[in-house]
This record gives sequence, C-alpha cells and structure tokens, in this order.
Amino acid sequence: MCPALNIHPSGDALALPRVTCPNHPDAILVEDYRAGDMICPECGLVVGDRVIDVGSEWRTFSNEKALKDPSRVGDAQNPLLNGGDLTTMISKGTGAASFDEFGNSKYQNRRTMSSSDRAMLNAFKEISTMADRINLPRNIIDRTNNLFKQVYEQKSLKGRANDAIASACLYIACRQEGVPRTFKEICAVSRISKKEIGRCFKLILKALETSVDLITTGDFMSRFCSNLGLPKQVQMAATFIARKAVELDLVPGRSPISVAAAAIYMASQASAEKKTQKEIGDIAGVADVTIRQSYRLIYPRAAELFPPDFKFDTPVDKLPQL
Amino acid sequence: MDQNNSIPAFQGLASPQGAMTPGVPIFSPMMPYGSGLTPQPVQNTNSLSILEEQQRQQQQQQAQQANAGLPGTSGQTPQLYHSQTVAGSTTTALPGNTPLYNTPLTPMTPITPATPASESSGIVPQLQNIVSTVNLGCKLDLKTIALRARNAEYNPKRFAAVIMRIREPRTTALIFSSGKMVCTGAKSEEQSRLAARKYARVVQKLGFPAKFLDFKIQNMVGSCDVKFPIRLEGLVLTHQQFSSYEPELFPGLIYRMIKPRIVLLIFVSGKVVLTGAKVRAEIYEAFENIYPILKGFRKTT
Repeated sequence: MCPALNIHPSGDALALPRVTCPNHPDAILVEDYRAGDMICPECGLVVGDRVIDVGSEWRTFSNEKALKDPSRVGDAQNPLLNGGDLTTMISKGTGAASFDEFGNSKYQNRRTMSSSDRAMLNAFKEISTMADRINLPRNIIDRTNNLFKQVYEQKSLKGRANDAIASACLYIACRQEGVPRTFKEICAVSRISKKEIGRCFKLILKALETSVDLITTGDFMSRFCSNLGLPKQVQMAATFIARKAVELDLVPGRSPISVAAAAIYMASQASAEKKTQKEIGDIAGVADVTIRQSYRLIYPRAAELFPPDFKFDTPVDKLPQL
Repeated sequence: MDQNNSIPAFQGLASPQGAMTPGVPIFSPMMPYGSGLTPQPVQNTNSLSILEEQQRQQQQQQAQQANAGLPGTSGQTPQLYHSQTVAGSTTTALPGNTPLYNTPLTPMTPITPATPASESSGIVPQLQNIVSTVNLGCKLDLKTIALRARNAEYNPKRFAAVIMRIREPRTTALIFSSGKMVCTGAKSEEQSRLAARKYARVVQKLGFPAKFLDFKIQNMVGSCDVKFPIRLEGLVLTHQQFSSYEPELFPGLIYRMIKPRIVLLIFVSGKVVLTGAKVRAEIYEAFENIYPILKGFRKTT
C-alpha cells in the first residue's frame, strides 16, 4: 500500500506539490538513491518510492580510451541554442563490421542533422574558435551565442556574412560583461575587417535595441600592462594617470585606448621598467605616433597626474619629452 | 528666375559680420529664415505669440538704436514699423499701464512646440554641399563625351560614368549612359541648378538632344560651430536611442534625429555637421532642435 502523499502546494503558484511525511510535515526527507526511496528521518517512514535515479549510468573513470565508454546518454544537450530538435544522430561505427567491402563506412547518415540551423551551428563553432584564441571564459562565449541566436532569428541582418555577425556579437558580449576588447583585438582573431565588424556592431545594436556602456581607459589597463610585463605598481599608476587626464580634460576627443597607451608609456618611463612607444603600440594596437600625440598632451601636467604614493625611478622632470 | 525654386539667395544672416549687433539674436526660431532683414508682410507676425512679439520688438528697438548708420538697416526700419503697428493693434486700449501679459487676440499657436520662450541660437548653419540629380532625357554615348569634352574623365573599368567638372560653380557631375546625371559640390540650391544646366548645355553642344527633366535635390550638407566644447559622453548617456558614440570607430557622436530626419555629427570641439536634408529648412530646424540640448552638455572647465 502506497503511503499517503500529503501534497502541500507552497505559496508560489508555479511550485510543484511537495511530498511530506504525514506525521512529520516539517521534516526534510532524506533521499536514498540506491533504493529509490524518500525516507522521513523522524519516523523512518518511506514516503516516496520509485524515485527516478538521476545519477550517472556507469561509473567511467576515463583513463582508458573513450571507445569503451558504455554511457548511452552522451553530451549535455544545449536546448537554449539548438532549437531543441530531438533528432537521432548515429555516430560512426567502431568495430570492423561497420565498414563495407570498399572501406567506406556503412552507415553514412551524419550529414543532414539539422539543416535549418546548420549555419547557426557553424557560427557557434566559429565563435568558439575565436574566443579560444584570446582565452575568453565560458560566460562570454555563452552570451555571444545567445546574441547570435537572437540576431539570426530576427533575420534583419540576413545578408551579412555570418562571420562578421559572429565577430560583432563577440565584441558586444565582451563589452556587456564589463571586459571590453578593442576592435583591433577582435580583428586579430577574425578574418573580417574592422570596418565590417564596426558596421555589423552598429546594426546589431539597432536590431536588438540594446546599448552598451562607453569604454573607459581603465577597462584595458590590466590586460595591456600584464601583456607588457609591467608590475602592479606601474599598472596602478597608469590607471590613475589615465583617469586623471580624462578628468582634467587634457585629451579631449582622443580615443580612450590612445590615452591609456600614453598613460602606460608615462608610467613605465617613470619606473624601472621602461617600455618603448613601439612596444606599447604593438600591444595596444595604436600607432606610435598616436601615443606620441597623446603623450604630448598629458606631458605638461605630468606632476599632477601621478598618484601621490608613486615611487619614481626617473623623476618627473626627467621624463622623455617628445 | 526658375519657377520651381522659390527660395531667394540667402544673404542676410549668413556671416556673423552681417549681423547687426553681436549677441543680439534677431533671428528667432518662430520666424521663417530670411525674415530678419527682409521686410515681411504684416500677417506673418500675427501667428507669433505675444511674448515673442514683445521680445522681438525690444530686440529690434535696441538694434535700431545701436546701429542707426549701418547700410543694412534700410530693410529693418519698415520691419520695425510693421511690428510696432501690429503690437499697437494687439495691446489693450489702455496706453498708460502696459500689462505683462496681454489678452491674446491672436491664437497662441506655437510653431516649434519644443522651444519655450527662449532665444534662438543666433547661429546659422552654412551649406557645404548639395547633391542633385537630373534626367537629360536621351541616351548618351559616354565615349564621345569623354573624348570631345574638356575636363571629363571616363574609365569604364573603374566606374560606368563620365566624371565632368566645371569651375564656376565649382562642381562635379557624374553622367551616365542612360542620360541621368548627378551633380555634386555646389554650395546652394541655385548654384546646383545652374551647374546642372551648364552640364546639360555641354552635353547638348556635343550633339545630343539633351533636356532638363526632373531636377531634384537629393541631399544637402551643412555645418556650423556652437563655439563651446561639448561633453559627448553625457549626451550619449541621455540620448541613447538617437546617439551612437564609438571613439574607436569615429571621433564624433552620430545623432540621428527623427523629426526632421537628419543625421548630425557632433564633435568635442563644438563643430556640428548636418546632413540628409532635402530642403534647407530641415537643416535649420534640426540645428535649432539640437542647440538647446548641446547647451545643456557644455563643458564647464
């Protein structure tokens, strides 16, 4: 006889009815997964039985080759992105019996998986490749995939190359996560030109009706400085210099990247780790004449731009003047 | 001269040195352009609100007192006379006390809904470029045109049109084999039309039966300077749905105004470029709309 299931719907209208012990409605039930029971800890009553086991089917230690993996479940599905089609895919055979006499595999139907979203899957692969080149974390990749899916379903940018849209989505995702990448950095991992990525970027913002925050100098400091191998002190000084320069409006109309590069140059020249304009220009993606121009604008007030606790290796008046 | 061009050459408010007194805005957004110095018929002033009327009157009185001797005021005195009589007719019958707010005998119809009784900017955008098209009405042989005309270049592998230039007005035309022509580079509507006619004459002299059909101005570009630096970051925050500011892509802010449908490029220095207009009035209207917004984002240092 099945024990009575006291069903207590909670205050939330969408909650599923919960099973509780009839004698101890407040007791939290213990799940015995081996037997598939839910047991009340107070009185030992088995409240729910035949609970579906959600553990893995086999215990795979995976030091052997994956050929012998008996799991029949496969990879986690990503229903958010793939349109949730429940097609059956038959993988390539493993034994000798799966090949016919000429050496071709007998079962060949790996081709027409999901023809409608083939381009989308291709784009996801491309996004993953691009992101992997610049070591972007999973959350940015997921956000990029979501953006691409939204744009793709809207079809307003259908004529544009999918790679361009993917690159622009990657740029927007980095920006939305608060870790913007410059257009040139995205260009470096994509085959699309900066101009085209910029165009697609503006079109996507209009199509999805979103907006992004303005870039600031501080967004790039940690990346540029660590790529140059500068110590933390110099990085903090450069961040301070750039912020102060923008506050004092010494560099009106200059791109924040150029200002950041000039600030890094000034901070590194004042410390023991001196970097040339060319090196900084290579990392930041700005020309060294651009760094020179922005440096000329901040140089006159260099003394006020440094943080108060900065240890000067080269004093302010000995900073290079170009 | 031309029947479908009703806009006279706009000389009055073009340059600052032409204005009567610097800082005294004679040009009001309520009044159509060109009315500052050219005498207007009386009924135009009836559509102004009374407050505007009084302001304008005061300004013109000041202007007149300050610059009695300038040659440009000859057009102004009749204007003043008009406004005085109009004001005299609309004030109440007691001459002794002038009430602050008269009972309006004319309906207060604001022409520009957004601007309250604030003064206009006093700055007039200058037209820099006009693009127009015209149909010459006959098929053309571009090779003969390129060989026989002066100042014509034709490179069919690069572009399928003859590029012809004339010196006065300094313009460039693209002439296509279908007989259609694009004329660019003129600084005013009249000049654009004149230049298009000159090109048509050149083509006609080369032996083609050229006509002058469907002359239409397709785009007008204007520019001006608000004379103060602008905080673009503030502007993009508040007007997000219209603005696009990406310093990596372009140093200026791209503002897409909905009404009138004009695109403005706004720079930190205070220079503004307006484009996308089909008529001159759209440029002026767009600038008058953006000026108070820009004043709000003036850099204070």
